This record gives sequence, structure tokens and C-alpha cells, in this order.
Amino acid sequence: MASKHTIATRHAQGIRARFASRFLRSLLRLRRSGNRFGGSQSNDEGIGKRIRTDRIKIAAYAAMARAVGPRRTWSRALLFKLRNRARIHGVSRKRCLVSEKKRVTRNKVVAISSREPSRADTLRKLVPGGDSMDTCVLLEETAHYIKCLATQVTVMQSIADRLLL
Amino acid sequence: MINRALLPAGGGENMLHCTDMTVLERQRARIKWQQEQQQQQFQLQQQEISYFTELADVFHQAGFHEGGLSEVVTRSVKPDPGLVDNGWNNDHVVGYGVGLPYNNGLGFELNYGAISRTSSCPPEAVAAVAAATVKGSESVVSDKISSGAGRESSKKRKVDKIQNNSKVVAEEDTRDKRIKGCAEQGESKITEKNNNKNSRNNNTNKNNNSNKENSDETSKDNSKVSEVQKPDYIHVRARRGQATDSHSLAERVRREKISERMKYLQDLVPGCDKITGKAGMLDEIINYVQSLQRQVEFLSMKLAAANPRLDFNVDNLFAKEAFPACSINFPTIGMSSDMTNPAYLQFNPAQQQLLACCGLDMGIDPPDMALKRTTSAPVSIPETFLDSSCFTQTHPPPTWDADLQNLYNVAFDQGRQTSFQTQPFTGDVKLSCLFLSALY
Repeated sequence: MASKHTIATRHAQGIRARFASRFLRSLLRLRRSGNRFGGSQSNDEGIGKRIRTDRIKIAAYAAMARAVGPRRTWSRALLFKLRNRARIHGVSRKRCLVSEKKRVTRNKVVAISSREPSRADTLRKLVPGGDSMDTCVLLEETAHYIKCLATQVTVMQSIADRLLL
Repeated sequence: MINRALLPAGGGENMLHCTDMTVLERQRARIKWQQEQQQQQFQLQQQEISYFTELADVFHQAGFHEGGLSEVVTRSVKPDPGLVDNGWNNDHVVGYGVGLPYNNGLGFELNYGAISRTSSCPPEAVAAVAAATVKGSESVVSDKISSGAGRESSKKRKVDKIQNNSKVVAEEDTRDKRIKGCAEQGESKITEKNNNKNSRNNNTNKNNNSNKENSDETSKDNSKVSEVQKPDYIHVRARRGQATDSHSLAERVRREKISERMKYLQDLVPGCDKITGKAGMLDEIINYVQSLQRQVEFLSMKLAAANPRLDFNVDNLFAKEAFPACSINFPTIGMSSDMTNPAYLQFNPAQQQLLACCGLDMGIDPPDMALKRTTSAPVSIPETFLDSSCFTQTHPPPTWDADLQNLYNVAFDQGRQTSFQTQPFTGDVKLSCLFLSALY
């Protein structure tokens, strides 16, 4: 277990640098794209801000998932979800409706077999890709996910502090 | 009885050479011997073996010939009270006395027997010893299991006994590595002896007992789980006083894995030292993950708020600052690859301060740095926290370009400091080029 921990810490530091570089690059890209569309869109209060927030958040998660790579179940699931979201976003509304229908039926099925959500289920909802894992693997993925989330938060914090000071 | 059990240990290997003994008896002897061994006895045997080899040499030098040896053998034989009911010892003794196969082996065994006589054990010849041990262990086993003992036990009964014994073994917890190692050797020798049926029964029995026996030598004390080289299944040993059901074993393995992961998570999540129990821990973990995700959302909002201001700055500072900043950046990165370079410290007071604080304050977490943070919850991963706190202590340069460049440098500095990896200089230059080209 000690060796596992050292390997994990080494990974965390590697992940930190990788995530930082990717996130910064995507931030710059976002800024440039915001600039290209003119100042008005991005300077809008309200909706514009929310859009920007979401874009930055997605960029952060995407950067983290790519920095981790396909080694972990949760990163694979996260990348898959982001790609699907991008696809759905860019494609016509028809497909959106179709996917909505599918989601509705799935929810109904879930409602039938609903019981009080146990803690493990709550955790599954939080960790990306947690549905298809048994408890043992779920805990392992949660540990790695927590570590990556923590590095993500610190890097973003330092960037924000630097940019705003 | 213990000493009797001692006897064939040294002779175990020698018994292989004794062609008088039947395959069955040898196997039986081996099995019974394995099952009765304790570690101290084994060590004792080893000591005695070394002692006996010396004596064997002495005896050979004395020039015993076969006849003399046989006399010694017959003389040294004493009927053991425990063996009275079994008449075949004497037969074996006689038979053995007649045909002495190997001088060495017999001398060895003789010495063993002779000396064990002094250690209050009735001396017997090899076969007798083997038989005695077989018989003795059989009687022991029969006491335990109350099954009939006897040389006339058929193969089948022997198989039953083996099955029973394996169960007994499974329920006891005092088996250790060497015994198991010998068991492995013994079993492999058994298969060598072509008693395939027996060994097959043993193996199937083991399988039927749901991985109770360890076929992996490398593990154990009283540990429960061992990973086997074969990818088929994990061999588990039942602990003393615990159920040996296959289902409960598998459950226990699963529970052990989960508790191990929970302990790891306890180290990861801050403030979980006091909490015991899976439920509380899971609650804490869920809270922590939710708080981290909320923090990411909040920070992205903050960055989004920061963006328009920076975009505005870009228009002003783009043309002026970019090119000179570019030229400044390269030597910065070049110097940053060498931490102790004084030129680097002289170049930029901000970065000097950064270096100083990172170098000196590695183990310290000044509270004022925490106050500078705009976000509430500190993330308590020590090295990352320290590095980012070093971040905030520096005076930010006025220009946005210089800001981001410094940030980029420090981000890589952090990576380098914490991981103590020196990223290649060319790599840094390339990345900085990428970064700067993205600005235009």
C-alpha cells in the first residue's frame, strides 16, 4: 500500500503539470474565441456569464480527463460524456429530442425500481461513470477522482488568484 | 511420539532410496509426517540432521559392514507400546534388517534411531521408523477423527483419511510456510510416485473444499488472502474460529478489499481521522466530492468574471508588451530550470520571492497566505497547498501578459519542484513558444 501511495503521488504531480498546461491552453482558446465574436457577447451579464462559466467548467473537466488519459474508468466516462455533449450540442434539434425521449424512458424505468438511494448510489452519481462499477472498484475510482479534483481545484485557484490580483 | 515423528524427517529423503518400502507406505509416511510437523520440530530435525550427518561420517569411518549394521538394527529395535497392536513393524524391521540397501542411508537412519533412543524414544530402523511414524500419526489422527487405523487400510480408506486430514488441516491455523512447502514437495512426490488417483482425489478434494488449502507457497502467516500465480481463482485460507464456507470466505475477501480502500480514502479526505465505520466515511466522502465539484464551479465562475477584464487588457497591451515579453520569457525559462541560479533570482524580484518562499517555507504554512485566498475551503494536500500558497505571496507584475507568463512559468516550476524532475530545456522552450504563439 505504501508503494501504491508513492506511485499515486508521483502521478498526481505529473497530472498537475499536464492539467495546468491543458487548462491554460484551453483558457486562451476560449478567450480568443470570445474575442473573435466581438466583445458584446462575452461582456453580456447574465446569460453570457453563465455560458462562459459553463464553457470554462467544461474546459477544466476536459483538460483533467485528457490529462489523466484513458487509464481510469471515470476519465473514460467523462471524455465520452463530453464528446457526446459536444456532438449533441452541434447537431440539429431532432437528435436532441430523440435523446431526450430515451432519457425519459430510462428515468421511468428507474422510478419503478426506486428505493431510498443508498450512499453508494449517491457516490455513483457523483463520480463519472460510476453506474457500471461495483462497490470495490467504485471506491478505488473515487480515490483517484478525489485526488484529481483536488489538483484541479488548486490549479484553478492559483490561476484565478494570479489573474485577479 | 513426538520423537517418533522426528525420525523420518531426516529419513524422508533417504526413504526414497529404500526400495523395500512400498510406494503406499512411503506416501502414507510422508503424508502423516507432513501433517504432524510443527515448526519447532522441523527446526529440531534440521539441527539433528546436521548433527547426525556428522555421526554418520564417524560411523562409516569406524568401518561398519552390512552384517554388523543389521545386528545393530535388530538389536536396537524395541517394540513400542504404542505399536503393539500393529504387528507389521516387526515384520518391517526384520525385512529391513535383511536387506540393507545403502550404507549411508542406513547409517544415517541408525544414528538417528540410536540417538533418538537417548532422547527417550524407542529406537527403530528406517522402515520401522517410517511405519511407526505412519502408525503413530495414524493413531493420532484416529484419535482425532476416530477412524480405523491399520496397514490393511485400502487405498480408499487412505483417501478418506486424507480427505479428513485435509479438513482438519483446514480448520487448524498453525500451518506455516515450511510445512506447506514440504506438503507441496510431498504432494509432488506423491504424484511422481504415480498414485495419480490419490493426488487427483487430493486435488479435487481441495477444490471441493473451496480453496481452503493453499497451493501457493509464497503467502502466509495467518493471512487470509493470497494471490495465486494461476489466474483461475484467489486462494484463501480460513482463519481460526471462522466459518470455512466458500461463500463466507468470498464475502470476507470482498469485505477486506473494501475496508482497505476505505482506509486509503480516509487518508485522502481531510478530517476523517475520528470517523470510524463505513457509513460515516461514505458520507464524508460524498460531502467532500460535492464540495470539490462546487469549488470547481465557483472557480470557473470567477475565471469567467475575470475574462472580460483581461480581454480588455489584451487590446491595450497586445502590441506593446507581447514582443518584449517574448524575448524576456526565454531567459526566464532557461534560468528557471536551474533553481539555484542567482541570475534567476536577480532577474525578477517577484520570482525571487517565489523561489525564496518555496524554498524556505516548504514545511511551513503561514496563516496570512490562507487569508489572501478568496475561496473558503482550503484543500489540504500539503505539497500542492504549499506551492499554490507560494504563488499568492508574490507581487504580480502589472501587465497581463507578464502575469500569464509568470503563471505559466510558476506552474511549471511547481511541477518541477514538487516532482523534482527537470523537464528538458528544449521542451520548456517549445511550450513557451506555443503559449506565446497562442497569444497572437
